[in-house]
Amino acid sequence: MPTTRHLLNRQRRLAARTAEPDTAESPPAERPPGDRRTPHAPTQVGHADAEQGAEPDPVRARRRRNRVLAALALLTVLLGAFAGWAGARAGELRDTEAVRNSALTDTARTSEVKGKVTEAVNALFSYDHAAPRKNRDAAGRLLTGPAVAQHARLLDGLRKQGEKQKLVLTTTVTDAAVERISSADGKDRARVLVFADQRSTRTGAAGRTDSAAADDGSAYAGAMLAVDAVRTGASWRINSIDTFD
Amino acid sequence: MRERVRALVRPPKDPVLAAAVALLVAALCFAAWGGWSWHAAADDGARAYGESRDRALSAAEQGVQNLNTLDHRNVAQGLSTWQRSTTGELRKQLADGRGEFEKQVKAAKTVTRAKVLSAALYELDERAGRAGAVVAVRTTVNAPKQKPTTKDTRMRCELTRTSGGWKLSALAQVPVGDSAGESEPGTSDQDQGKE
Repeated sequence: MPTTRHLLNRQRRLAARTAEPDTAESPPAERPPGDRRTPHAPTQVGHADAEQGAEPDPVRARRRRNRVLAALALLTVLLGAFAGWAGARAGELRDTEAVRNSALTDTARTSEVKGKVTEAVNALFSYDHAAPRKNRDAAGRLLTGPAVAQHARLLDGLRKQGEKQKLVLTTTVTDAAVERISSADGKDRARVLVFADQRSTRTGAAGRTDSAAADDGSAYAGAMLAVDAVRTGASWRINSIDTFD
Repeated sequence: MRERVRALVRPPKDPVLAAAVALLVAALCFAAWGGWSWHAAADDGARAYGESRDRALSAAEQGVQNLNTLDHRNVAQGLSTWQRSTTGELRKQLADGRGEFEKQVKAAKTVTRAKVLSAALYELDERAGRAGAVVAVRTTVNAPKQKPTTKDTRMRCELTRTSGGWKLSALAQVPVGDSAGESEPGTSDQDQGKE
């Protein structure tokens, strides 16, 4: 205990002064002078206490102080443990699959993704022999990663024979539903299930088809594909096209 | 206790006790923050909505798979599964046609299996307990003395929340060519399955 004796005495004098007649100073003055150094002065230990007989036993005072310290330490540990546990539980709750996926929970983002993917699929799987550049431009603008090769493979036959056969393929998305939207490493990704109708004159269509030939030389087909899109800057690009083959 | 603490914090009586009290106060702040954070996370509406979405979606997947699965050797059990997966109008329709259907399947001796390729919800009204989903499903039909046939089907379904969880209340194939390049894209609510 580094507290020196004259320091303790000074404190005691100060305490006595505030405790005495000054009624304006409420909290210390309320205490009766005799009560002053009993329980709320556990710091005044050692031989300083021995001067006055009314003082509690120094051993008892030290014990009391230790008990208070122990109680404080225990409370601190308990509260700290609770804080850690509660923080971990909160983290767990925020880190579930359901929370990471913002499909439908973020309505603005969901309809944005749905709209962009619908537009993209319509453009990517529509072809007019009179303007084959249009489809190529769409591919350059809307595709990225493995989807570039997947799209090229799906439209390979169409591009080869399109001009010869005067082919026109029109794809119209009828249903698009967002399965998931997630953000990781600063990149937004989405997976969208798309149903589309395809009308083609003369020859087949891209994607999985249930063809039904019509009399006017047009064939109607229904396609279903799962599309992965990734956001780069302000625009969404299609990263993967799954035709369930 | 508070009286005592107040006495203890008054410097410079006992730096050790003062430090202990300071630590306790810090721990109290952390605990309050942790508790608040936990409560906020547990009470998060978006989280509840997301969980609802996932439950509805898996009910849609399971329901569509169930309703595309039937074994002629075990028709009664299969049709009971159909009943359990459905509610409302769809359940009634299935119950009404059950006898006739059972006869047909037993006569044809077919075994139909389904696999959901992909599925997604296009709407979820958590308050009303209604949801809509599109499901891409692949069915394989085995009939005696015939090669198994595999078919991919595009389905739209509606779900209704019941006391036993989300169940199918409408199911329909998406017909080919109903838009044929004319109608506006992205209109998934032109549902055939609606009552």
